[in-house]
Amino acid sequence: MNAKERLEQVIDNIEKVIIGKRNIVELSMVAMLSHGHVLLEDVPGVGKTMLVRALAKSVGADFKRIQFTPDLLPSDVVGVSIYNPKDMEFHFRPGPIMGNIILADEINRTSPKTQSSLLEAMEEASVTIDGVTMQIPKPFFVMATQNPIEYEGTYPLPEAQLDRFLLKIKMGYPTPKEEMEVLNRARSAAPIEELTSVISLNELLELQEQVKTIKVDETIRSYIVDLSRQTRQDSYVYLGVSPRGSIALMKASQAYALLRGRDYVTPDDVQYLAKFVFGHRIMLRSEARYDGITAEEITERILAKTRVPVQRLVGQ
Amino acid sequence: MTSIRKNKLFMAVLYALVFFMLAEWLTPVIVLTATGHKALFLIFVAAGLLMAFLRVPWWFSGPLKTLYILWFIVYVYTGNVFFTGEAIAFLRTDFGLNFSALMSQDWAGTTDVFRTVLFFVLLWMAIYLIHYWVSFRLSIFLFYLLTVIFIAVLDTFSPYSGETAIIRIMVIGLLLAGLLHLARWMEGHRILERTDKLAMFAVPLVLLVAGSTALALYLPKAGPIWPDPVPFITSFSGQGGVGSGGNVGRIGYGVDDSRLGGSFIGDDTAVFQAEVSEGQYWKVESKDFYTTKGWELTENVGESFVYGNSETVETDFVLDEEEELESAQLSMEQGFPFVLYPYGTESFTMEESLDYQYSTADQRFETYQDGEEFEPEAYEISFTEPSYSLTALRDTSPEELAELPAEFDRFLQLPDELPERVGDLAAEVTESSETVYDKTRAIERYFSTSGFEYSQSDIPVPEADEDYVDQFLFETQRGYCDNFSTSMVVMLRSLDIPARWVKGFNEGELVDSDGDTDVYQVTNNNAHSWVEAYMPGVGWMLFEPTIGFTGASAIDFDLELDADDPEQPEEQESPLAEDPETAEEEEAAVASGPSFWDRFTDSISANRWKILWTLVGLVLAATILFKIRHRWMPKLLISYYRRGSGGTARFEKAYLRLLKQLELYGINRRPGQTLKSYAAYIDSFFGTREMSKLTEAYERTVYGGDEESVDWPELRESWENLINRTSG
Repeated sequence: MNAKERLEQVIDNIEKVIIGKRNIVELSMVAMLSHGHVLLEDVPGVGKTMLVRALAKSVGADFKRIQFTPDLLPSDVVGVSIYNPKDMEFHFRPGPIMGNIILADEINRTSPKTQSSLLEAMEEASVTIDGVTMQIPKPFFVMATQNPIEYEGTYPLPEAQLDRFLLKIKMGYPTPKEEMEVLNRARSAAPIEELTSVISLNELLELQEQVKTIKVDETIRSYIVDLSRQTRQDSYVYLGVSPRGSIALMKASQAYALLRGRDYVTPDDVQYLAKFVFGHRIMLRSEARYDGITAEEITERILAKTRVPVQRLVGQ
Repeated sequence: MTSIRKNKLFMAVLYALVFFMLAEWLTPVIVLTATGHKALFLIFVAAGLLMAFLRVPWWFSGPLKTLYILWFIVYVYTGNVFFTGEAIAFLRTDFGLNFSALMSQDWAGTTDVFRTVLFFVLLWMAIYLIHYWVSFRLSIFLFYLLTVIFIAVLDTFSPYSGETAIIRIMVIGLLLAGLLHLARWMEGHRILERTDKLAMFAVPLVLLVAGSTALALYLPKAGPIWPDPVPFITSFSGQGGVGSGGNVGRIGYGVDDSRLGGSFIGDDTAVFQAEVSEGQYWKVESKDFYTTKGWELTENVGESFVYGNSETVETDFVLDEEEELESAQLSMEQGFPFVLYPYGTESFTMEESLDYQYSTADQRFETYQDGEEFEPEAYEISFTEPSYSLTALRDTSPEELAELPAEFDRFLQLPDELPERVGDLAAEVTESSETVYDKTRAIERYFSTSGFEYSQSDIPVPEADEDYVDQFLFETQRGYCDNFSTSMVVMLRSLDIPARWVKGFNEGELVDSDGDTDVYQVTNNNAHSWVEAYMPGVGWMLFEPTIGFTGASAIDFDLELDADDPEQPEEQESPLAEDPETAEEEEAAVASGPSFWDRFTDSISANRWKILWTLVGLVLAATILFKIRHRWMPKLLISYYRRGSGGTARFEKAYLRLLKQLELYGINRRPGQTLKSYAAYIDSFFGTREMSKLTEAYERTVYGGDEESVDWPELRESWENLINRTSG
């Protein structure tokens, strides 16, 4: 069974509980395969939690959930050392971060201090407590949700920390037909309980390795660089996509190509993922907001005007 | 594409209009070439169109048309209405004649029948082309435009009057173009089944065309804004002024040279035949008095000498004692009361006993028998070609000119009215030449290096206040031997170099050769004039300023160099080779005249209209070819990519070529559009799946670097299919 078929099995499995959101499921898989994390931005009740749980179950991963509240402390996330009077030593109690698949719910409700503890863990894939560094088990995949930033009582994530998420996805409401199907399935027992794993964690790690072998031609790399550079030159943009953003786009494209059963990246992969990779990495000037222009629109515009490479670079 | 083309009535109207349009092409051709049998040609056109309209299969219509052509030939050339035995025999012999003429590339040997067949083939092709335009492309505009241009050009430049033809063409063309546009429009909007709509649109169109034509016919019309271009154009081709160039003469030897100029038409009437070892210039006489319009002979000068048969004559050209005598046999086909003689003539011999009276005034040998003028039929001339010592020629210093005796004065005569710029030009041309010989050579060469043009037509005759030489040198710069030779004599005289104008015939056409002896046929076309100039210390010498004539080199300049000159032997080999020093001097002479740049600009300005129109034509042709390149490129591309072996590199090139073709076809790829989505669009446009297939393979090679997976021979079929669609 090749990579594409195995990945499709996982996606089909998840689709048993998440209806009509195949693209979101695919994007989540892309993020997971390329060691990235996902920021889900949407209103409550559209199936964010269900998605992450189904994902965890399908790959047989350890699933943890952290509900972020204003009074949550960093130690509540990464864990705490507790003094045990019996043997007169501090014992480390791992926090919920020490899992495979973490759902960080409503991440913008908690204080920046706690937010940064999570984000550091995401970047380093390890936590340091009392001078001791502990590796988080692999695979490690965080799916953070946040309510749209216009809501009251939130601490918006700073740019530097947004950059750590590979993709920002909006789930959106289901179509009426899909919603009917959701209701239909909810009448009986929760289907999530019946999900079984279709691939093992080791297989997932193998797939993650395989992503790195996907060929990104020089033409594609230059295309990605072109796109990033364009975001930095746009008059509406205050802060464009960082080189880390370029790397993110390349890695995500590799994972997406694997998902499509190809061993090379095409401009179509890059174009499809650019919207999800660039959306949270472009900081707009206030003029853009007056004009009602969003980061997604800027990305679309740049995609439309940047020349797609269609032939080998000279000298190759 | 079932369509409007199925509407028989509509198509019948179109074909009828096409017939009238073709008739407009045919009429002027038949009128201008005096072909006749217009009705029979029209029947051919009508039949061809009818068969195209009825979709008669080619295996039926082809033989039928061929049969008609054969019948036409039989009827027109033999008068038989049916294919009688005589008619068939005629066809057979004529076919044989033409076939052998074509095989032996004897184009002139083909008969009129052959040309008739060619004309029919042309008509056949025209019918097919228009049938294609109307039936398949639903477009006639190009043909319409060409018809208008064709008739307009014929009306302007030929005796054919297109006054009514142009109106008919406008009406027919507008109707045709309008109806075809309507047809295309209906196809485009897929309202083909609504044939009643056809009438709804067609009737107003007909009314509009009829109304506007009637109005245009009956309204008063303004005169032409542009003058008739024909006189305008001819005035640029050297005619000078309107009316002065009207007299066209016939070329040949004439006596009266007092008024030179005007155009000539060729005349290949034979004058004589000469059997001689090498072509010669045959001198008749010279003239010495320039009148600003032509040449006359100074009266009462010189002496006369009478010689008999085989008696050694004495001319201005001293015989070289060392050279062996050559012999020339002349047999006259036109009678003259004098003999023609080559340079270096020693004696004349003739069967009859004759007196040859030589006059030093014009150097003419008149022939008398018993005191009466006599026109000899054949005679033999002994002569040696004069040779000149280069050393002596190098010593011809201009100072010696002043010491010449008074008898040379008549060779320095110039009219008082001669414009000063003629002398100035001569001085300028010879500025850097030191010896008399070099100066003379510099002037001789001036004409061929300064944008002068040889032509016998449209040469003006100078007006009363104009000078013949001045007009040629500074205004027209176009002319024939008289212009060149007269100008050279006048220029030489302005430098005080004695010179005279010589008339005669040039070597003529080599018609036969028998080892050492060549036979030359000399006709009226060979009537010629050239220059003799006096080199102090050397004697008279022949010079040939006329462009395209090689008189000077035909005369053997056997240069006698000093024995101690190391470079001597090679020079003697060839009559054309010159002493390097002389060549240098001559180059200097040329350089001191108008510079290369001046001559370049002169020749540009002399031919500016030709150049301009050629350029415009070329640019136009190139533009049209470029604009319609998506039509013809696919054919080239397919045959190009079919050849040669497969391979990824070839596939990539072919794919990129296809992208270009698609853009030319009008399906543009947006800059941000990926190949895959573009391919999907192309496929949905053409209703194919081939572009996606090709694109996938292409992406695999370019982005995936997988070069082994490409199977170009297999993909080529899809590629050809798509390329072919772009030529539609």
